[in-house]
Amino acid sequence: MAAGMYLEHYLDSIENLPFELQRNFTLMRDLDTRTEDLKEQIDSLAREYTSNARTLSSEQKLSLLRQLQQSHGKCKEFGDDKVQLAMQTYEMVDKHIRRLDTDLARFEADLKEKQIESTDYDSTSSKGNKSDLRGPKEKKVARMKLKVKSDDDCSPKSGQKKAKLTQAPEFPAPTVNFGNVHPSDVLDMPVDPNEPTYCLCHQVSYGEMIGCDNTDCSIEWFHFACVGLTTKPRGKWYCPRCTQERKKK
Amino acid sequence: MRRLRRGCRAGVVGLDMGRGRGRGRGRGRSVPLRPPSPYRLQLSPSRETLTYAQAQKMVEVDLDGRLHRINITDPLPVITEDEMMAQDIVECNSNKENSEQTQSRARPGRKPPNTKSRRRESKNSSHQSRRSGGHTQSQTNSFQNPSHHSPLPEPTFRVLEAPCPLDAPPLPPSYYRFIEKTGEEQDQEAEYDMDEEDLAWLDMVNQKRVCEGHASVTPDTFELLIDRLERESVLESRNQALSQSAIDEEAFCCVCLDDECLNSNVILFCDICNLAVHQECYGVPYIPEGQWLCRCCLQSPSRPVDCVLCPNRGGAFKQTSDGRWAHVVCAIWIPEVCFANTVFLEPVEGVKNIPPARWKLTCYLCKQKGRGASIQCHKANCYRAFHVTCAQKAGLFMKIDPVRETGINGTTFSVKKTAYCDNHSPVGTRRDGSGDEAVEGRLVGGRGTRGQRSYTQTPPPPPRKKTPKGQKKGKKSSTRRSTVPVLLVPQIPSHRLNKICTGVAVQRKNQFMQRLHNYWLLKRQSRNGMPLIRRLHSHLQAHKTAEQREPDEKLSAAMEELRYWQKLRQDLERARLLVELIRKRERLKREQMKLHQAALELKLTPALILLRSTLDQLQEKDTPQIFSKPVNLAEVPDYLEFISKPMDFSTMRAKLEAHAYCSIADLESDFNLMVSNCLKYNSKETAFHHAALYLREVGGAILRHAHRQAQSIGLDPSTGMHLPDSPNKHGFYQCTWEDVDSLLDPVNRLHMSTEEQLKALLEKLDVVTSMRSSGGRTKRIRLLRREINTVGYKQQRSQSINGKEEEEEVDDEDDEEEEEEEVADVEEVEEKEEDVKKEAVENGLLTSDSTPDDSPPTLEPSCPVSSLLPGDTPPEPPVLGLVSAGRRSPGRSNKRQRSSRSGGNVRSDNDAEVSETLKPSKQEEAPTEVCSPETPSPSTNSSPPVGVGRRTSVLFKKAKNGARLAKNKVSLQNGGSTEGKNNGLDSTPIAPTPPTAPTPPLTGSNPAPPTTAPTPSSPSSHQLRSRGSSSEGEGEKTLPLLVKEEGLTNGLGKHKDDDPDPPSDDQKQSTPPPPKRSRGKPALAKVPESQNGDSGRSLLLPFDSETELTPLDLVWAKCRGYPSYPAMVVDPDMPQEGLLHNGIPIPVPPVDVLKLGERRQKETGERHYLVLFFDTKRTWQWLPRDKLLPMGMDDTVDKLRLMEGKKPNVRKSVHTAYDRAMVHLNHVMNHVKGNLTFNPSNFI
Repeated sequence: MAAGMYLEHYLDSIENLPFELQRNFTLMRDLDTRTEDLKEQIDSLAREYTSNARTLSSEQKLSLLRQLQQSHGKCKEFGDDKVQLAMQTYEMVDKHIRRLDTDLARFEADLKEKQIESTDYDSTSSKGNKSDLRGPKEKKVARMKLKVKSDDDCSPKSGQKKAKLTQAPEFPAPTVNFGNVHPSDVLDMPVDPNEPTYCLCHQVSYGEMIGCDNTDCSIEWFHFACVGLTTKPRGKWYCPRCTQERKKK
Repeated sequence: MRRLRRGCRAGVVGLDMGRGRGRGRGRGRSVPLRPPSPYRLQLSPSRETLTYAQAQKMVEVDLDGRLHRINITDPLPVITEDEMMAQDIVECNSNKENSEQTQSRARPGRKPPNTKSRRRESKNSSHQSRRSGGHTQSQTNSFQNPSHHSPLPEPTFRVLEAPCPLDAPPLPPSYYRFIEKTGEEQDQEAEYDMDEEDLAWLDMVNQKRVCEGHASVTPDTFELLIDRLERESVLESRNQALSQSAIDEEAFCCVCLDDECLNSNVILFCDICNLAVHQECYGVPYIPEGQWLCRCCLQSPSRPVDCVLCPNRGGAFKQTSDGRWAHVVCAIWIPEVCFANTVFLEPVEGVKNIPPARWKLTCYLCKQKGRGASIQCHKANCYRAFHVTCAQKAGLFMKIDPVRETGINGTTFSVKKTAYCDNHSPVGTRRDGSGDEAVEGRLVGGRGTRGQRSYTQTPPPPPRKKTPKGQKKGKKSSTRRSTVPVLLVPQIPSHRLNKICTGVAVQRKNQFMQRLHNYWLLKRQSRNGMPLIRRLHSHLQAHKTAEQREPDEKLSAAMEELRYWQKLRQDLERARLLVELIRKRERLKREQMKLHQAALELKLTPALILLRSTLDQLQEKDTPQIFSKPVNLAEVPDYLEFISKPMDFSTMRAKLEAHAYCSIADLESDFNLMVSNCLKYNSKETAFHHAALYLREVGGAILRHAHRQAQSIGLDPSTGMHLPDSPNKHGFYQCTWEDVDSLLDPVNRLHMSTEEQLKALLEKLDVVTSMRSSGGRTKRIRLLRREINTVGYKQQRSQSINGKEEEEEVDDEDDEEEEEEEVADVEEVEEKEEDVKKEAVENGLLTSDSTPDDSPPTLEPSCPVSSLLPGDTPPEPPVLGLVSAGRRSPGRSNKRQRSSRSGGNVRSDNDAEVSETLKPSKQEEAPTEVCSPETPSPSTNSSPPVGVGRRTSVLFKKAKNGARLAKNKVSLQNGGSTEGKNNGLDSTPIAPTPPTAPTPPLTGSNPAPPTTAPTPSSPSSHQLRSRGSSSEGEGEKTLPLLVKEEGLTNGLGKHKDDDPDPPSDDQKQSTPPPPKRSRGKPALAKVPESQNGDSGRSLLLPFDSETELTPLDLVWAKCRGYPSYPAMVVDPDMPQEGLLHNGIPIPVPPVDVLKLGERRQKETGERHYLVLFFDTKRTWQWLPRDKLLPMGMDDTVDKLRLMEGKKPNVRKSVHTAYDRAMVHLNHVMNHVKGNLTFNPSNFI
């Protein structure tokens, strides 16, 4: 059907996602093993150093230490690469999600129209459907993670909005009922026990979130309420912690 | 079957209410079952509508399809059996007679009235009367019969025992709760219940099976299987139902052409031809379950039917008694025709009775002759004839009115039917009768369009009978025609059948299932395809309607799709979450890696780390970065002549990284070497010198701290790693006021050597300074410092005993120190409060502890260095001076410094104190170093003019003291003027005084190289050196100098305020530190050498501070708020007519300028010089001496001045002015010598 056309296209585009994910993950795994090797190497070197510290000449020591440093440097490089990869992967998935969200929004709009048409037969049922539609619709919008700002090293985009909206998986979604779709099967995401937590409150992300503009911020994302925001602030925003640190400097 | 239900229309309801009898309502669905009456009673005259009262008085008996109405007041004749025969005959006769009568009577009753309600009402009443008739009849019967045989029946009765009511079973404590089973639960169990038919069938089947030797099938299994079949069929039919067309909202009954739809009179649709008729119009008293078919679809499904009464096709047909078909409408309107059964409205009777004349009428609408029977316009004299259906189609005025007739048996109601041709239609009802319809009521004529739609213009030839069914209903039916099979029993495919019976254990399963299926099919068919389980049926219905609400298959498919996408979205969300976690993990890993590295480093090379941090701290203190790079030998080629082992922070760092340092001591030695180098090479008045001193003070504390740290950590010096067992951490910082106080008491230190004492004191000082600030702390810090100083003296004294020379020096030193201390003490007292405050601020705590001595304060081992040296006051701008010219009294300079600092800057006080405390500690070595070379004569060697100083020490001291007094005065007046400049100024004039200043020999004979002495250089060494030289000069010159100064001051003329902002001390203090470029150590002794000759002396060198600034000298003049600016000192007393200086005209100061100078000198009480700036406007200014700096003495000085301006435009203007000044100088010099070429540009 025509409405599903863009979704079909989307399906094509997402086809490669698993492979790319896999590739990235294997890459990361590779890096990780190499890091582990290096760590072992470092450990052995350190042991050597400590055991022979008394006998070694300063040059030898120096060379040993230099080796250690090099290994560490490599480890760090690998770590950076891994972080980079992870971020790339994240961006990739995020991109897909954003696209899907827009497509879904369109799709739902179409569907709603159709439903209104069809429900002209029976005003009551259409009413019901419409109200049902509205619920998930809003939910849907609310779920869109407008995570336009990538967090870390990022990027020319960082000038854009940095509020992100996320859904609350732990939100009870009993009100959500899309048409005849049962509430159980859509939208109430299973609560992932491993879901990353953010903010000063160490909760999962929900509602509108704001990203700290300090790239090294350990928390990165904050709930609007937790940092006393109601709207997205203009310009750069730093989290309370980073603000303090910056003040110190 | 489909039904159309609509809400009652208000108008109709009103009508209904008004006319209807409560009893008759809702009758439409119930079939009045009448008991057969054994007697024929008197025929009722008619079946008109009766009022309630009438109905109550009437007994209506329906006998053989005829109504007999008996008034209850009428006497009933009692008839015997023989009489009955006769009666029968009579009855037969009367029946014959009556047949016509009843027909004619029934017709008005049954023909569709104009309004639904009316028609209903008539039927209602008839039914009611009929029912009551039946009832009364039986009643009468019951007492008629006995009366016939015996007089009256004896009533017999017996008394029943009074039923004692059983005790009701106790109610359960809780309410009964009905929990509706969910669909799933209901699906689990078999809902079907067997009926007798099923039992019989099962018995038969089982018998057969038993005969064949199979186990019989239990009823439970049967029920279960039937249940499953039902469910399957529901699923099947659900799919089929989707394809069914929806109910036509605008459907109207094709008999009465009305779309009104009451609950009791719904419009039914034929499931095949989609014919729409009212229940009452078609005679369907109850709504059938399952499907409903119209008569012609039911009885003649294969061939279409034609109406015998009209040529039109389509519409509601009924069969006539002779097996033909006729429209219901036609039967109603043609007066000769009637329905045999007025409830079911069939069969149509009396077709034969239609007179031939009627057959012969020609319908004026269809113009067909001889086809069907027509009716005529009711208008008198109008003979136009038309078929009923044609009239409907044409929308003629056809009206059925209830008429009240008063007859024999009271008032009766009949129906008056009026139909007009279109010529005679009542005004306003023609065609466009929609408006009237509302007003006048239901007019058949107003519905022409509907009629048009419901009938097809049949093909004119009547014999053509074989037209497809589809045309029966014309347009509508042809569009609606569906070829759905008659019965809607869904076929269940065999694979489904197999699936159904999987859970059931039955022998010969397939066979049985086949049979069962067939049986089930038959059963369903027998029930018109009705599902056998109600719930499923209703569910199906509901589902059907639900599905029909959104019949769009696309929509539901889209829903499915949406669900799919949402699932996908969820999956993606999960993936994103996962990746986010991975990202976090990797970041943590990276952090961990970094930490690991740091930890390993700490583990492997703790000493290195400590050293590094110490070095960092040290370097931090070197804010001007004088020591950060090796001395640029290109700048100072002679550096190596003085310094054998250059050292700087970068070299130290390199050594550190190369593991050349094993302990803090190694680092410390290099640090001290660096500082001493600087002190050695730079004269003490220079900024470098001061920076070095400062650095030594600060660095000492840092290094001490590092030492302690190394101790407490327990470093193994050989490996640079931690000791296997950590040393006892008897906290260094664990000390109390008592310890400090006890140490402060000299008695307690008697057992210690001075060095030990010093050390202990210093340590305590470190400790105390690192403590939380409190009154006690501040006090003790001061006490400790003083004590340290005194100990330092003692030490020096004890050492000075060793050598006379040293003694002299030390004497000198001691005096100085003492005086300094005095002054310092005074200052301390004065600034005690500020001190306290400041220290509190240093520690970040403004809590002033009111109880200083309470408790052993817990010490916070914060970095003592930082707290010890709070004000990282940038050192004074390094002013370049000449080593050889350093003949100044150190005391004086010290004093200057002291006073200036104390006067202007509170903060520096602490530094001063620190410097004091530190100095003595170093001084023990200083004399040995400095004095070791037996420098033969001061005349040949400028650096150790010690001998001279030694000899003249006493004299010099006095002179110096005097000078100091004077200086004190001056300095007090000056406030916080920077002594750096003064020093530079002071020293320069003297530079040439030593006849020859051969530096090369100096290196050789210079004091012990730094390496030999761990703490090689000290301020005193320099002081000594310069003091020695200065001792001569001072001794000789101080007094005259003073005198001259006086004279000059006196001679100063009047000034005029020309300067908007007179220079002030504060401004002075805030003079920005020189740019980094100046950190290179200035060339020593170079300038003096090059200028050994006295050539430019008078011109270039403004000499000793007060005296030597002669008019026409070029100076750097420092105005407040402006960098030093090239200017020329002008004699205010110069002749008013002007003068030529070496042929160059000198501008004359204006009178107002002179006045201003006078006034200012009066105000400040000190001498001001009149200077003329080399700016474009050649402005004048009166400046004190300390604001002036000789120009052209030293490249570096000039360069520094040139760089002083912060803003580029300011700097540029300074440059320009400098050029101008140089040009001026050139001119002057050229006039004098003619050979001196000076190119100012190389400075810039």
